[in-house]
Amino acid sequence: MRYAARLSLIVLVNLVPGNPALAQSEHGLDLSSLPEAGAVSSDEGLAAWECIHTVLTHPRCLNCHVGADNVPLWGSIDDPDRVHGMAINAGDSRIGDDTMSCHACHQSSTRPNTIPHAAPHAGMDWRLAPIEFQWTDRTSAEICAQMRDPDRNGGRDAAGLVEHILHDAELTGFITWSFGPGAGRDPAPGSLQTHLEDMAAWTAAGMPCPEQ
Amino acid sequence: MDLKINGTSHTVDLPGDMPLLWALRDGLKFTSVKYGCGIAQCGACTVHIGGEAVRSCQVPLADVWGEITTIEGLGTRDALHVIQAAWIDQQVAQCGYCQSGQIMQAADLLARNPEPTDDDIDAAMSGNLCRCGTYPRIRAAVHAAARAMRGA
Repeated sequence: MRYAARLSLIVLVNLVPGNPALAQSEHGLDLSSLPEAGAVSSDEGLAAWECIHTVLTHPRCLNCHVGADNVPLWGSIDDPDRVHGMAINAGDSRIGDDTMSCHACHQSSTRPNTIPHAAPHAGMDWRLAPIEFQWTDRTSAEICAQMRDPDRNGGRDAAGLVEHILHDAELTGFITWSFGPGAGRDPAPGSLQTHLEDMAAWTAAGMPCPEQ
Repeated sequence: MDLKINGTSHTVDLPGDMPLLWALRDGLKFTSVKYGCGIAQCGACTVHIGGEAVRSCQVPLADVWGEITTIEGLGTRDALHVIQAAWIDQQVAQCGYCQSGQIMQAADLLARNPEPTDDDIDAAMSGNLCRCGTYPRIRAAVHAAARAMRGA
């Protein structure tokens, strides 16, 4: 894609849960209290998953985790199924390469989102999530199964899922943006720190999933 | 701050968080770039940066990443760009306010897709609004420009 090269890559810290030496980094998140693998019970892991699921199914996240029609949403808590205006379709590229680039309106910028109703921006090139990450029209059990399947979560193992959040925080990416979308938008529930802690707890518990 | 616009270098002394649209119109007098909404919902301010169509109202001046092309850089009165010629042939413009943005978006589309279908055109142009409702003529002009660019 034409503008991806503008983003500079940041070398990740090696994630060692519970290591206070890694508590300070560019991501600004506190890793000191994250649990070790196996230190969390299945019930606690399921409780953590419920918190994660509440975040993933918030409109701020669902709006871009859509299905094969490649149509983003403008959903809100009051109107979660509202489709993106202007008949936008991100195409099979999921970034508008075949139609109109998402980047035509959504800039890649870490500046605060201060203008109500303007196209929001984050520190990554705006896009739909890969189709494997569809969360709309899925149950908690289905999303959970996706999340722990490397074929459907971007090739990530347990540590990779936690690292994904840290990487996003370093870039001020979409996960980070979702908790502070600015300009009158509903934020995802909780905070990036609590989401990180929930993800660490869920993965440390062996990624348990609900039956439904 | 240095900007390259339509092949010419310009130095501007304006705040870095000023939207590029403001800098182009008020600072540098490129008044072909139109203010419609200021929130990326109309497309009237579309210019190219590094060859990519973008809404100039959404780009802070300090974040401009490449050469800017406005419609003045697409063609001239004496040597129209093939898209501009097609626009005239098809008599697209009614009030004309949105048309520079429409043409810049069409130029982006035809650079990527030299033989667009109606659906391709609709998908690429749907973010550029026209209160006069010239959409059928816009579509016809894009097809005509595509044919001309292919030499057909």
